[in-house]
Amino acid sequence: MTTNRIVEKFKDFRKQKAPAFMPFIVANDPNFKTSLQIAQRISQHGDFLEIGFPYSDPLADGPTIQAADVRALKNGATTDSVLLMIKALRKTVAIPITVLVYANLVLQAGIDEFYKRAADSGIDGVLIPDAPIEEIADFAVAANKYGIKQIFLVAQTTDNPRLKKILKHAQGFLYLVSVLGVTGARQKFGNETQEFIRRVRKQTKLPLCVGFGVSTPEQCKAMIKAGADGVIVGSAIVDIIAKNLGKKDMLDKVSDFAKQFEN
Amino acid sequence: MQKGYFGKFGGQFVPETLMKALFELESRYKKFSKDPNQQKLFQQQLRDFVGRPTALYFAENLTKFCGGAKIYLKREDLAHTGAHKINNALGQALLAKFMGKTRVIAETGAGQHGVATAVAAAKLGLKCVIFMGEVDMARQQPNVLRMRLLGATVTPVSSGSKTLKDAINEAIRDWIANIKSTHYLMGSVLGPHPYPTMVRDFQKVIGREARTQILNREGKLPDYLIACVGGGSNSIGLFYNFLKDKNIKMIGVEAGGLGIKSGKHAARFEGGRVGILHGTKSFVLQDKYGQILETHSVSAGLDYPSIGPEHANLENLKRVNYTYATDAEALYGFKLLSEREGIIPALESAHAVAIAVKLAKTLNKNQIIIVNLSGRGDKDLETVSKLL
Repeated sequence: MTTNRIVEKFKDFRKQKAPAFMPFIVANDPNFKTSLQIAQRISQHGDFLEIGFPYSDPLADGPTIQAADVRALKNGATTDSVLLMIKALRKTVAIPITVLVYANLVLQAGIDEFYKRAADSGIDGVLIPDAPIEEIADFAVAANKYGIKQIFLVAQTTDNPRLKKILKHAQGFLYLVSVLGVTGARQKFGNETQEFIRRVRKQTKLPLCVGFGVSTPEQCKAMIKAGADGVIVGSAIVDIIAKNLGKKDMLDKVSDFAKQFEN
Repeated sequence: MQKGYFGKFGGQFVPETLMKALFELESRYKKFSKDPNQQKLFQQQLRDFVGRPTALYFAENLTKFCGGAKIYLKREDLAHTGAHKINNALGQALLAKFMGKTRVIAETGAGQHGVATAVAAAKLGLKCVIFMGEVDMARQQPNVLRMRLLGATVTPVSSGSKTLKDAINEAIRDWIANIKSTHYLMGSVLGPHPYPTMVRDFQKVIGREARTQILNREGKLPDYLIACVGGGSNSIGLFYNFLKDKNIKMIGVEAGGLGIKSGKHAARFEGGRVGILHGTKSFVLQDKYGQILETHSVSAGLDYPSIGPEHANLENLKRVNYTYATDAEALYGFKLLSEREGIIPALESAHAVAIAVKLAKTLNKNQIIIVNLSGRGDKDLETVSKLL
């Protein structure tokens, strides 16, 4: 088995006891060139990077990410252009890259072919938000074949017996869905989010990253305190992109925002 | 066979947050369907509230007009709320109560499922939110007014194509956020397991009644069954109890829109490939990368890029023959049935009527066709008045 950037990086972070920051953007939002620049800039502040494949029907996502998907698709985003962008990004960026991609895009590319091309583009982890463990078999086989970590969601509604089943499949890190809801920045989180993190923490040594709605450094600290290894910040970043479309200082604004989450 | 699959179609392609709710739904539905009190209540309500059994009507004038096979209409348009959708809506609303849920949500295209859900919710004292695409709200205005009058909140959906597909996305998002209090009352044989099976079970009363009725009337089974197919609940409802009768031919009619070549249609078996949409693997209209395409049909209820997974399997097994009727053919069927029989069909059902008329002409007078008249056409008057 070849080494995987996700696994190696979390080993380092555990040693240093440092929290991991994983920014998320939608690939090709608002277009190929700008998105590549955004990805390069936020990679300077992020420890990991998560990139979403734009999709016409993103049912796990809220309005912010949906709008980003629409922008990207309008400007011609395809599975090919997303992989091309990540390949270009890999020339200058060494941090682990996970992609979020809806099942149908993988199916249409050909499952084996998709993972092969993903590995070739420098992708380390694949998360399919609409493929629970019941449907993952074919995807997992391909992930394994090409040395890619298959990442799984765990939700507050995932009880411990089911969590144990997910842990049998899980690799790289567990993606904890912080809230009952879709993606989108939240003002605050209830106690149940921290209780959820503590509950999962007791069940596994696998790194835990919390996402869906995390938008401030204070929220991050609370998640880390409850036992998370890292946080994923998506909609808050995408929102800055949306509000600064066509403006010269968009890259600086995105970068400044990401900087606050640096260790 | 893998659980929740029909051959290679179906499954549960949903975010993890929903999985517990799907398991809960599956196990509670099993209990519900075996609970004698619940079933007695349900049957009573189907009789007294919905008005079942609905008539099986010999369309004598239409038969004469075609000069071929006898055409019978299964009159789901006479059910309360004017369409077959109430069979499933009432069943699931009772189930929601049985599960201890206080709120139901639903998507709607033509508005028939939205109205049926609002009716069932009003009757059973459940909070009700209906998601409906803005395009559909404009073309099915009377049903929007009906739902509001019934106390439901109608939430306009402005994303994507602003039709049924996008309404389902929004309903699923709402369900993810309100999973503890809310039952998602899906209106067709779509979505993740157990929906395609459960909704079919609530609709198979159509075929069960039709079977008894035609045997009483003609002393034999029909030669053909015809029904329109959007998601596919009225068609599977009619077909299901006849599937084992190998001599009975079945035709599912998809929306041909402006014609297959125009690209503006919703005929999944014509232009689609196997894909995943809204939690289930089936035939899907999509581009080469898997982005879901926008569809077109004159009837909102057929305007959807995927089809129930059980239909995909029946097509694969060649048990059901799927064809399409264009907007123009459906309008012809609409007008013909109105003028000849004094029955104004829903534009969805008019697709089935159009194909039945074509077929009847080619058959002999001893043969029998049953057409599922899935709904009434009052909701379509505005659309039709602009086109005829």
